[in-house]
Amino acid sequence: MSRETATSDSVADRETASDDRSDGRIDRRTLASVRRVGLYAALLGLVAFYLVPVETGLVTSFKTSEAVRTTLPFLPPGPGGATIEKWQFAFGALSNGMVNSMLFTVPSTLLCAILGSMAAYGLTLVDWRGQVAVLALFIAGIFIPYQAVIIPLTEFWSVWVELDERLAFLWALPLLEEHHATILELIVTHTAYGIPICTILFRAQYQTMSWEMIEAARLDGASLWRVYRRIVLPLSVPMFAVVFIFQFTQVWNEFLFSLTIIRSVSDPAASVTLILSGLGEALEGVDFPLRMAGAFVSALPTLIVYVLFSDQFAEGVRV
Amino acid sequence: MAKTELDHVTKRYTERDGSEIVAVDDVSLTIEDGEFLVLVGPSGCGKSTTLRMVAGLETVTDGEIRLDGRVINDLPARDREIAMVFQSYALYPHMTVRENMAFGLEEATDLSDAEIADRVEGTAEMMDIDRLLDRTPSDLSGGQQQRVALGRAIVRDPAVFLLDEPLSNLDAKLRGQMRTELQRLQADLGTTTIYVTHDQTEAMTMGDRIAILDDGRLQQVGTPLECYHEPANLFVAGFVGEPPMNFFEVDLENGTLVGQQFEYPLSERTLADVRDHDRLVLGVRPEAVELVADAETPRDFRATVDVVEPMGNENTVYLAFDAGDVSETAGASADAETFVVTVSGMRRVEAGQQVVVRIPEDAIHLFDRETGEALHNRELETAEAAPPNF
Repeated sequence: MSRETATSDSVADRETASDDRSDGRIDRRTLASVRRVGLYAALLGLVAFYLVPVETGLVTSFKTSEAVRTTLPFLPPGPGGATIEKWQFAFGALSNGMVNSMLFTVPSTLLCAILGSMAAYGLTLVDWRGQVAVLALFIAGIFIPYQAVIIPLTEFWSVWVELDERLAFLWALPLLEEHHATILELIVTHTAYGIPICTILFRAQYQTMSWEMIEAARLDGASLWRVYRRIVLPLSVPMFAVVFIFQFTQVWNEFLFSLTIIRSVSDPAASVTLILSGLGEALEGVDFPLRMAGAFVSALPTLIVYVLFSDQFAEGVRV
Repeated sequence: MAKTELDHVTKRYTERDGSEIVAVDDVSLTIEDGEFLVLVGPSGCGKSTTLRMVAGLETVTDGEIRLDGRVINDLPARDREIAMVFQSYALYPHMTVRENMAFGLEEATDLSDAEIADRVEGTAEMMDIDRLLDRTPSDLSGGQQQRVALGRAIVRDPAVFLLDEPLSNLDAKLRGQMRTELQRLQADLGTTTIYVTHDQTEAMTMGDRIAILDDGRLQQVGTPLECYHEPANLFVAGFVGEPPMNFFEVDLENGTLVGQQFEYPLSERTLADVRDHDRLVLGVRPEAVELVADAETPRDFRATVDVVEPMGNENTVYLAFDAGDVSETAGASADAETFVVTVSGMRRVEAGQQVVVRIPEDAIHLFDRETGEALHNRELETAEAAPPNF
């Protein structure tokens, strides 16, 4: 076996190999571009799928009742068919509910976040007996269905607590009215219901915190509370944004508690979701433009919250 | 500044399945005021647990820890006037270096803001980190973070410093620098210091005294040279020193140590120490073995060089006894006992070379094979000459 034959063999091998490779390259390139076209088509399809309902709602909200009947739902109204009257009406009808919703959503969201963060601190970064049992209670709290609590809950507020009577001395004060008792009930209810999930969210972050850092702070002379206040709290700002957005949206959009605790659309404490449920319903038919305008108006605050906290949110979910 | 005493301190953990683990077993230790004590041992030996008990981060199961005579078992960590440097540095990531250093003073003292600022700046200057005061930990290199962690402990002027493997995250060169710097700092400040490490080089070079722990039990407390030349037992002898001491299992027969591959005669003086024991371990430090030209005494043995590791200043030579010296030749060379010798870096030694090694009798250590207890340590005329009184 001479060395030369071996070499020429291997050269031939290499040539056929490179031929194969160039063929393969062309195939692969066409395949790649076909795939890319497919990908973009699918993405466009998805964009349309998600945006068309929103767009339909938006154009419908600007249509007159006449235009709704004569144009296709997703097409804009023709000249003369456009109006902002429905938006004005929706604002008028919902403004009181927006104020009420804001009055219970903001406090209960803040309370949930603060109490949840403290509970998570106590359950994660402080060592004590029986922690696991308490944590199990918190986790169980997440899974209690609303349906199971609405009757005991309404009984609790209306028969046992009767806040409006117990706090009667307050309603004489300026800015306070009797229906604020109902708002207070909603604040407490939403806070109690939101704490478990907020605690678990904070706990997930606190578990990644350096235990040595907490110990260093303790050795530096900080009390349990000071460690929370000066070390843990500042480091959980991004998680606060996550919890704030999440909880704000939950409470703002919540309907079942509003329905059972407030009971009536005509109640002065009626929330935005409660009013929205009846908006545009009439004997002569559904006023679609009004319902759409109302839906957009009531969704506005959650959008604003998203925009305000989006940077912090992004940092918080990166953890 | 304070004398710290551990009096029969024990730490037991109860596992989930109910079984008990003894992490620290009846340790008694006194650290004098201003002393630098190194707590050393392999990982899992209980040294960190001991330190954490002094810090107040772990409860004490049994025994007492005293600070200047006062029992501090039940005193919360924050009231102990103890500063600790952690392996991970544990800096507060959302605070600047200045805020990190001021934190302890703000939490634990009544000093005014101006006084705190003064002390922080003074310490930062001493630690040469004054340029870094307004940066956050994420902008610092590992070495800088280390200095900040030290500075944060020093600025509090604590009664006791606890250092838990503070240098283990640094690269080798920086570690060497910090070792000397830490020693100098401690000497300047005169603060009682307990330093935990698994690195016997750090233990040897840094401590006034070292305490060697294994499996939760204290093996020996002494100056580095005492532990090196007069190890209390087999564990200490093997743990202290790099490369480690050579060990040979031997039986005492008629005044002669009979090993697997050699026989070593003992003098009357040495025999007196080991009279009632016959299953022994012979130990000899790598630098105590001499390479000689010819076998002249009964304590000279022929050996073959296996591997040479040149270190520049010295050569680490791995040797195997020549199979010819032993009676049971078959298979003996396969598990031939190898041993280590260090010789001057100038001396030429090559793999495969035949040499004669001399094991001087004044350099040998003898241990009981069952208990590991040291029965005879090397003659100390030479060792006493080594550390001059200063």
